[in-house]
Amino acid sequence: MTLVDLFVAFCFVLGAVAAFFTAFHPNILYGAISLIGSLVAVAGIYGALGADFLAAAQLIIYVGGILIVILFAVMMSEDIYKRRFFEGARKYIFPAIAAGVIFAGLARITLGADWSDVTKPDFEPTARAMGWALVGPYALVFQYVVVVLLSGLIGAVIIARPAVKMKQLDEEITKSGEE
Amino acid sequence: MSLAEFLSGLNQLLGTGIPMAIFSVLSAVIVILLFAMPVGGFCTYLERKVAADFQERIGPNRVGPLGLLQFFADGIKMFLKEDSISKNADRWIYNFAPSLVLAGSFGAFAVIPFSAYIIGTDLDIGVFYAMALGSLVSLGVLLGAWSSDNKWSLIGGMRGAAQIVSYEIPLGLAVLSVITISGSMSMHQLVAQQAWPSPGGVGHFWNVFHNPFMFVNFFIYFTAALAECNRTPFDLPEAESELVSGFNTEFSGMRFGLYALSEFADVILFACIASAIFLGGWHVPFFDLQSLNIGLSVGELDLSPLVQSVLMIGVFLFKVAVLVFVVMWLRWTLPRLRVDQLMNLCWKYLIPISFFNLIGAAVWTWAFEGRSILQLLGQVLGVY
Repeated sequence: MTLVDLFVAFCFVLGAVAAFFTAFHPNILYGAISLIGSLVAVAGIYGALGADFLAAAQLIIYVGGILIVILFAVMMSEDIYKRRFFEGARKYIFPAIAAGVIFAGLARITLGADWSDVTKPDFEPTARAMGWALVGPYALVFQYVVVVLLSGLIGAVIIARPAVKMKQLDEEITKSGEE
Repeated sequence: MSLAEFLSGLNQLLGTGIPMAIFSVLSAVIVILLFAMPVGGFCTYLERKVAADFQERIGPNRVGPLGLLQFFADGIKMFLKEDSISKNADRWIYNFAPSLVLAGSFGAFAVIPFSAYIIGTDLDIGVFYAMALGSLVSLGVLLGAWSSDNKWSLIGGMRGAAQIVSYEIPLGLAVLSVITISGSMSMHQLVAQQAWPSPGGVGHFWNVFHNPFMFVNFFIYFTAALAECNRTPFDLPEAESELVSGFNTEFSGMRFGLYALSEFADVILFACIASAIFLGGWHVPFFDLQSLNIGLSVGELDLSPLVQSVLMIGVFLFKVAVLVFVVMWLRWTLPRLRVDQLMNLCWKYLIPISFFNLIGAAVWTWAFEGRSILQLLGQVLGVY
């Protein structure tokens, strides 16, 4: 057992515990904050297994961006301490079934795979290879993601526009339709 | 010998495993204690002295010669102060938040290239790693503000998070254009390419003078970095005249100390990155320090790298010091922006300009095959 193995094991435990808290903590704020643990743990696993670029991207996108947006939303909600999101077992049935199916699938794949010929390669920087892959074989997928993000941005702009302007816009559109 | 080689040598000595891990952690802590903490502390003294000069006062002058030991006194005061937590504060998050900020700003020092031989670790994704760790800072600010159960804190924290998330975009784009023209994210590589151009050499002089787009980009980077460190004119998260002390209002004692220290560490960090990726790091004009050979040796050991290293560290820290001074200078020159002005500046000016610059830098790199203005000039004049 090397140090890397120990570190990966630690990250797995940290991620699992934090994910458990995220799902089951009665206070949604603590749930959101314990996401830090699982997201950082995933970054740690990426880093330890040689995906250095992915690890940094995980930190910058999930911890620095998405988590902050989630926290913003949670903190802006009213009476966050009074609310309890533990509303009885019925709400857990469907998520539990879904999680169970996904877990069973992953477990099947993991146990069914032949791990005997997997050797640990030496650490190699991945950023350059990933960059070439994104403009080469995966260019189409990359452009697809770009279009999805762009439509998201346009949607955000439209939602953020003041209501008055939207009304004016509607009137203008109906007017031009009448003409 | 780089630190990495030194460590791998030590690795063989200690054997891989737990002792090595403990040693790595300890050495990181020692580097932080020996470099970032005293320099951050010294910056608080410098800030007060510079402020005093701008306002025609004397500034701290009682503790030690010229008041030089003032920051020791401040530090001792911080340690001895009562660590009060307000009654309704969320204790868990309150205790946890300052360490996030500290981790974000101090962890990134690992990739700062102080000389060609002294760098914590020359990661392949160096710049990106530094920016990724920087994102922990906004989280720490937001959580600290929210947990202290104080309106001023919360407003400051919300402002801080919104500001840092927004200004990360022009900052990232400015860094991205550097990566575009250099083709590398490793700090060592980025600096090594900025040597004075020589026949057959890789150097294209400082990135800030690489092409007109990069020149503008440097100022965009600097402005966005000011906002990232919550410095005037972007110090809305702690606006003293409106929010008492902003996100750290409720923090006292060493917890406040951690926030104050990591703010200065952040300033130094961004100055370090700016001088490494834009201002040539340890490189000076007209001369490549790495080719310096003093011809002195002790036995088998050549002393040149040592002398080079000392000179390089001097050059690098001089650039950092100039940038830090400009940051302090701006603080006592410019008034604070309003929130809407802050967001306008970022979204309507800096981001479009930096997108334009990114495309411009990419086109320049494609058109002139990565050569800088200076190299092109040299070719036209027939120097090489």
